[in-house]
Amino acid sequence: MALNEDNPPLTTDLIALDGAPQNKEGVMEFLLDLAVDAGRVTDFDQALQDLQEREKQATTGVGMGIGIPHAKSAAVVQPTIAFTRVPEGIDFDAVDDEPATLIFLLLVPESGGEDHLEMLSSLSRSLVHEATREALLEAESPERVQEIVLEAVS
Amino acid sequence: MIERTVTVVPEDGLHARPATKFVETVNEYDSEITVGTPDDGDDLVNAGSILAVTGLGIKTGESITIRAEGEDEQEAMSALESVLTTPETDEE
Repeated sequence: MALNEDNPPLTTDLIALDGAPQNKEGVMEFLLDLAVDAGRVTDFDQALQDLQEREKQATTGVGMGIGIPHAKSAAVVQPTIAFTRVPEGIDFDAVDDEPATLIFLLLVPESGGEDHLEMLSSLSRSLVHEATREALLEAESPERVQEIVLEAVS
Repeated sequence: MIERTVTVVPEDGLHARPATKFVETVNEYDSEITVGTPDDGDDLVNAGSILAVTGLGIKTGESITIRAEGEDEQEAMSALESVLTTPETDEE
């Protein structure tokens, strides 16, 4: 998808290398808080509700240690990715029962059309590679995470 | 080994619930199953991984190539075709 380079979906204030809660609900709220603080989301409760609705359809614990909760929501200002990691791993209702260590929150505005699906599939395609997952687990700065993720989705 | 190309019917394409259902079905069979877009040629991915299947980015109306190899390849292929050609009826 065409991304605005001056206004990328992921900025360093949307990346928390540590400090996330150790459960699925908690991590989703933690990432959503980052998105609210970054001015990407106008209504925390609305966005959370939209994320939970999507989660009810099918888990976003897609396996290989990855969780990608995502939603299209009227509470979202612009396409946004927030990232955190939980080295110990958390239960994300994963299809392969593996604990999730890398968590991405994907949000797009209601008017975003299929943008979120394109962002989701580019990110998924890149996360299939073990090298990408390891680079994200080992990244020592938010800048490094941003570089890896933006390369994946652009 | 059998191979089919199927047009994806569910409205969301191969994402979310249809992708999950597809991968769950793949994992019910013993056959080795791989998928790709018709452009991928022999460069197919593991159909048992949601991440890999979602990564294909297949939308409704687009085609997917499925290859199955194993004792139950016929049964697996029929089950997968049925998942991909059934519209979703329980939209909330």
